[in-house]
Amino acid sequence: MAASVEELLQNNPARLWRAREQGAASAMPAGLPTGYAALDCCLPGQGWPRQGLIEILSDQRGIGELRLLMPALAQLCSRPRATVPGKARPAAVRGGGWVAWVSPPYTPYAPALASWGIDVARMLVVHGTGATEWAMDQALRSEACSAVLGWTNPRDMQALRRLQLAAEQSHSLAVLFRPLQAGLTSSPAVLRLALLGDRREGTQVRIVKSRGGRPATVSLGH
Amino acid sequence: MAPLAKRRVAPALRPSLSVPDKRAPAARPRPRELWLAVHLPALMLDSLRDQLRALPGNPPVAAVDLERNGKVVRACDEEVRAAGVHTGMSVNSALALVPALHAVARDARRERQLLEAVARHGLHFTPRVSLEPPDDVLLEVRGSLRLFGGARQLCHRLEREIGEATGATVRFAITPSPLASAWFARMHAGERPVLVRSREELASRIAPLPLACTRWPEKVLQTLATMGVRTVGECLRLPRDGFARRFGANLLAMLDRATGRLAEPRPAFAAHEKFALRRDLEPEVDDTARLGLVLEPMLAELCRFLRERSRGVQAIEVQLRHRESPLTRVRLRFVQPVGAQPQRIGALLRERLARLELPEPVRNVRLVSGPLIDLHSDAPELFAHDRRESGENVPELIERLRARLGYEAVHGLACVAEHRPEAAWRAVEEPSPALRATSPAAAGEGEGEGEGARPLWLLEAPEPCDARHLEIEEGPECIETGWWDGHDVARDYYLARNRHGARLWVFRNRRETGPGGWYLHGWFA
Repeated sequence: MAASVEELLQNNPARLWRAREQGAASAMPAGLPTGYAALDCCLPGQGWPRQGLIEILSDQRGIGELRLLMPALAQLCSRPRATVPGKARPAAVRGGGWVAWVSPPYTPYAPALASWGIDVARMLVVHGTGATEWAMDQALRSEACSAVLGWTNPRDMQALRRLQLAAEQSHSLAVLFRPLQAGLTSSPAVLRLALLGDRREGTQVRIVKSRGGRPATVSLGH
Repeated sequence: MAPLAKRRVAPALRPSLSVPDKRAPAARPRPRELWLAVHLPALMLDSLRDQLRALPGNPPVAAVDLERNGKVVRACDEEVRAAGVHTGMSVNSALALVPALHAVARDARRERQLLEAVARHGLHFTPRVSLEPPDDVLLEVRGSLRLFGGARQLCHRLEREIGEATGATVRFAITPSPLASAWFARMHAGERPVLVRSREELASRIAPLPLACTRWPEKVLQTLATMGVRTVGECLRLPRDGFARRFGANLLAMLDRATGRLAEPRPAFAAHEKFALRRDLEPEVDDTARLGLVLEPMLAELCRFLRERSRGVQAIEVQLRHRESPLTRVRLRFVQPVGAQPQRIGALLRERLARLELPEPVRNVRLVSGPLIDLHSDAPELFAHDRRESGENVPELIERLRARLGYEAVHGLACVAEHRPEAAWRAVEEPSPALRATSPAAAGEGEGEGEGARPLWLLEAPEPCDARHLEIEEGPECIETGWWDGHDVARDYYLARNRHGARLWVFRNRRETGPGGWYLHGWFA
């Protein structure tokens, strides 16, 4: 059967798109601001996609892989600041969500999270050795968390597709941390970022894949 | 001897009993308590109702018990009694009179359960309920009469409720004395409940009651009968000291309590309920999937039990009995009390069963609940909203994760006001935002330090590292503390960058001399 490209594009707007079509505001739903203006500009929706899986690829620790997410998490899961007069947040930015950390490589350090304005009491740390994908899937499907972060490298496409599907259906920020090597194989994720540490110029964020966006490289700074 | 005694005694007796109690005020006071006695005249048979209902053809039945000389009838139907069978008769004699008689062994445990079930219904009407085994329940209803529209209405509702739930026959009496209420209720067979509102009235109404209502030992009753004393009134006319000498102070005290001369504090009945259900498996079950199917109706039963009581459980246990191997226990713990939510409990149970390895086929299953817990009624929010904001699904998620990964695999985080970095946080077993409210000091921790003063990743234990390739960016920050608990530290912390551009949190241990003593403690991820 022969269907024209135009036809396919029209019938599957969510799954097929032209790379050159920079996601205009009308086409892409508004994302969650990343807190890094340079990165926001390069992302369709001007922020983290609210649906679908995000992959962050890096081999090094300590190059800003979590810092990248902190402003967004602080929005989703902020501490109520009623006690600090004058510092009250606008009503629109009320965050009372939970964040699931599935199989993190180290302990997320509570005082550091608190210093970013994140409500530490709403963190859920899950040690799911061997069952990280399952635990992420559960966390996404339960609609219990505003963000689900997972550290694993699924070998088969099947597991990735399941995760992407769960992330697509839930409205949680879904982030999967994988080694840089995984960038060589394809993935159903809607956004894939590769992080490269650089001693002189600071961490470089390379957009490997972005549905509705274009590949680009952004410096995260020191 | 008996008539003599009676004649001699009668005049002397009058002062002792019929004298109105001097402590009672002259005006007719309203008693402070009114006790409703619920008597179960057919307790023994009523408790066996489930068993009897299963009998084909509705035969005449009798409950029997093993006594000194064989099986003896303890309770029987009206029609059996009409045929001449009475309690205490041997089963063989009863069978001779009623050949179709079906004898059932009495079950004292079930009788007690039925009595407690009635008491639980009593708790719907008043908080003060007391058991009077074997077959009476006492409710203090003085404060409840008005609420339920008077004594008659109250009795009517109670009868209907007990009848619907247990099928038991009941008799009622209300008097100011709990014991007198029980006596009245035992003797009373009429439609309308006995109602005595004051102590004066009680003294006159109690007199004609036959002494059998007291359930005193048969020997005492016989002795009294030979003295011509057959009713409570006649008994009250006996001289007090003589009565006490002859029959014991105990029985005299009972008379005093019945007439209200002596107060009678009653032990309160508290419903200690748990759910327990057993099912025998025939044939034995050896795979967990089928076990799940067996458990499904049992869970439904548990949920019905919880719904009826509007209560929840925080733990349940499934006990699997095998032929040889010891009992297999599957315990489920919930983060929050769970009410009647069969899907939630079922999903969790299936998850646990799927990973269960049975040492042997299962012969029977028992489902037991932990203690019942009051559920706070969470009215759904009117202007809801995003479910993720409220965190209402979080406990369920935690349970599901724990069911597969183990209890310790899931935890929350909390800040601790402490200078040693490794002690400035802790894992929280039951993550809940309510915790924050209780520790404002911890919540404020880190607020003033600014983003990036502490690393986002902390290593479980500091690792020795080589400081030669590091470029120090900030520091030192001296942390010297903890000498009081034996884990004292003296460290200079630095923010350093390695040649890949990664930022590290390193410290030099001041207790170590020489070129080493550098440790990596965290990543500024």
